[in-house]
Amino acid sequence: MGNRAMLDIRHYSKSYGAGKKAADDVTLSVMDGDIYGFIGHNGAGKSTTIRAVVGVLDFTDGEIYIDGHSVKDEPMACKRVTAYIPDNPDLYENLTGIQYLNFVADVFGLGSAEREQSIRQYADLFEITDDLGDLIGAYSHGMRQKLAIISALIHDPKLLVLDEPFVGLDPKATFTLKEVMREMCERGAAVFFSTHVLDVAEKLCNKVAIIKQGRIIASGTMEELTEGHSLEETFLEETFLEADGDA
Amino acid sequence: MHDGIVLLKALLLSTSQRNIYRHTTDGRKRRRIVANAVGFAFLYLLIMAYCVTMCVGYGVLGMAEAVPALCALTLSALAFVFTLFKTNGYLFNFKEYDMLMSLPFEARTVAGCKFLCMYVKSLLWYASISLSMMVGYGVFAHPPVVAYLAWTVLFLFLPIIPMLAAALVGFLIAKLSAGFKKTNIVQTVLMFAFVLAFFSLRFVMDDLFRNDKVELVLGQMSAMTNDAARSYPPAGWFADAITRSDALGALLLVGVSVALFAIVFRIVGQSYRSINSALRSHAAKGRYHMTAQRRRSVVGAIAFKELKRMTGSSTYMVNGAMGEVLAVLLGVATLVIGFDKIVDTATQGAPIDVATLRPAIPFIVYFLIGMVATTAFSPSLEGKNYWILQSLPIEMRTVYQGKMLFNLCLTVPFMAFATVCLCVSAQVPVLDTALYLLLGLALCAFSTAWGCVCGVRHMRLDWENEVEVIKQGTALVIYLFPNMFVTMGLTVLVVFLGMRFDCRLVALAFTLLATALAALSYLWILRATQRDH
Repeated sequence: MGNRAMLDIRHYSKSYGAGKKAADDVTLSVMDGDIYGFIGHNGAGKSTTIRAVVGVLDFTDGEIYIDGHSVKDEPMACKRVTAYIPDNPDLYENLTGIQYLNFVADVFGLGSAEREQSIRQYADLFEITDDLGDLIGAYSHGMRQKLAIISALIHDPKLLVLDEPFVGLDPKATFTLKEVMREMCERGAAVFFSTHVLDVAEKLCNKVAIIKQGRIIASGTMEELTEGHSLEETFLEETFLEADGDA
Repeated sequence: MHDGIVLLKALLLSTSQRNIYRHTTDGRKRRRIVANAVGFAFLYLLIMAYCVTMCVGYGVLGMAEAVPALCALTLSALAFVFTLFKTNGYLFNFKEYDMLMSLPFEARTVAGCKFLCMYVKSLLWYASISLSMMVGYGVFAHPPVVAYLAWTVLFLFLPIIPMLAAALVGFLIAKLSAGFKKTNIVQTVLMFAFVLAFFSLRFVMDDLFRNDKVELVLGQMSAMTNDAARSYPPAGWFADAITRSDALGALLLVGVSVALFAIVFRIVGQSYRSINSALRSHAAKGRYHMTAQRRRSVVGAIAFKELKRMTGSSTYMVNGAMGEVLAVLLGVATLVIGFDKIVDTATQGAPIDVATLRPAIPFIVYFLIGMVATTAFSPSLEGKNYWILQSLPIEMRTVYQGKMLFNLCLTVPFMAFATVCLCVSAQVPVLDTALYLLLGLALCAFSTAWGCVCGVRHMRLDWENEVEVIKQGTALVIYLFPNMFVTMGLTVLVVFLGMRFDCRLVALAFTLLATALAALSYLWILRATQRDH
């Protein structure tokens, strides 16, 4: 795929309190054009890593670079080219959908025509244009998820980071999101997302990393990792092998 | 009963800072909790010192016997006012409503436990007032030991009746507004209307009371307190139980409190589900057509977001804009009734030259306008939405600038309106009026920036109910009380200085002082956000 690292995580570690590490020496690179899947059990450290990447979580050990900028030292430069969609987006419930999108557009300095075109395009695509005038508080989980996705896309980010993006989406929206992710990568952007849905990861991603107990236990291109098996078999094998190793 | 205890325990635990302290491994969070506790302890000490001083005043004037009634009236008034502003958001339309109501609890159990949770969490405030007054009373009245015991037990019941009355008012307002499409707006308007009616009624009663005994105002404070206690029976029952060891008074206070609790929550329980359903449902039109979109600056966008946050919550609106509404009322009242008559009523007919009070106009207005700064709680209000701001390419200073801009937009027009009204009514010369407006502007800037300092320093994002930060948050309390007491002191000082020096010079000096303090606060915010960054 590409030859420019859009996301470069180097020896990132994060511990909560004095106890165990939620992320332990995580190292991976997402190049432009990559759709990179990040898979692991519940509590494996996926969200902890993702939250550090998007600048929501502080960290001291390791370095994270986005498009060549350090998340620690140049967070603004990183955020300007990144979009993040959390697993359960808590949005401003007292704003209408269109007010929220305008808020994000204002933050990214989008012009009136540009934002209108962008919002119209994605709102039509995710079929929530009619609902944009309603309060977010009245939205279903899926609609909130769609709104969060649109807000992430309207400023045309170079790196899209998603935490369990397909949870709560209807089949049509899931298909649309996958198409959007592919289009973004064809344009030279990169996508990094966590998921439990291994089928989706297998069909969508060109690269995958498996995380267990905070450590990356396998990573690489889909072909390198699966070696002709399914991703599910590979994942179970890798995680069980590790468990046996631990025992 | 068992259900109630289980639920109450869970509610108290879910909002307990001690519980967070015990279970968090985050050192910063622990330090913040300790710092907040120290801050609150300091405020409790201040309140206790104030109460003891007041009791000493009563004791020295030989009116120690009136202290129990004074205590009962003070606690009751505070309990009523504080509960009234908290009811919506605490009893109704709270975040975990769906979760709680999906569990096998009766509606009245949920409502009753939410009320008791609110009561228990306010108890330290009431205890700091009551127990310090008990000490003051003990020093001067030398009551028997049984009076101390009765006081310690009975004061726990004093806030219940006024809190129930406030909850009932909140319930009626919620029930009325539930039928409207814009429930938040209707609820806020009704709440403002009730508060204004309540103050007006009190004003009228004070006036009647004063006409009756105008010459005895200073001489018979004790009799006045006792008269007031008679007009509010629970205060009389408490006073009788303490001063005359009247068992009937004690029984009446306990019995009526418990009985009213049962009755009120039986009534509330019957419509609880329907009211909350109406308050929590949002009308969805689903008819939006894309139109041209307006571009704003980032700071403007944050300020607009804050406006929508405010109009979306009646708790925010009532608490954030109460000072502004009162300022407008004061402005209109002075224009209609006249500045001199208002002063005459407020000072109970004391022989004061109204002209000497003119320099205090900016501080009188600021007392209302600066009562609450939205910047003191708006950083905490981000709560679980904080990820949005954190993940966007904006500096935190920009976020706070937006929040400050919103507070200025909210306060300055009302300050200007009230100041002009008062100046016109008090026949203040034009140049002085301009200076007072300038001073008002500086005070608004100070209130905004200092509120933001408190809000940023004591930001709390892990709240369960917005009332916890809007009404009870450490940031707000630390902003509110010192600001209120200092403003009261400055109001007196500026009158005194105005009698000795040129009023214009005094106003200018205070303008410079307020501007300097606002600038220092603003610089602190810039530095703090740079450190965080």
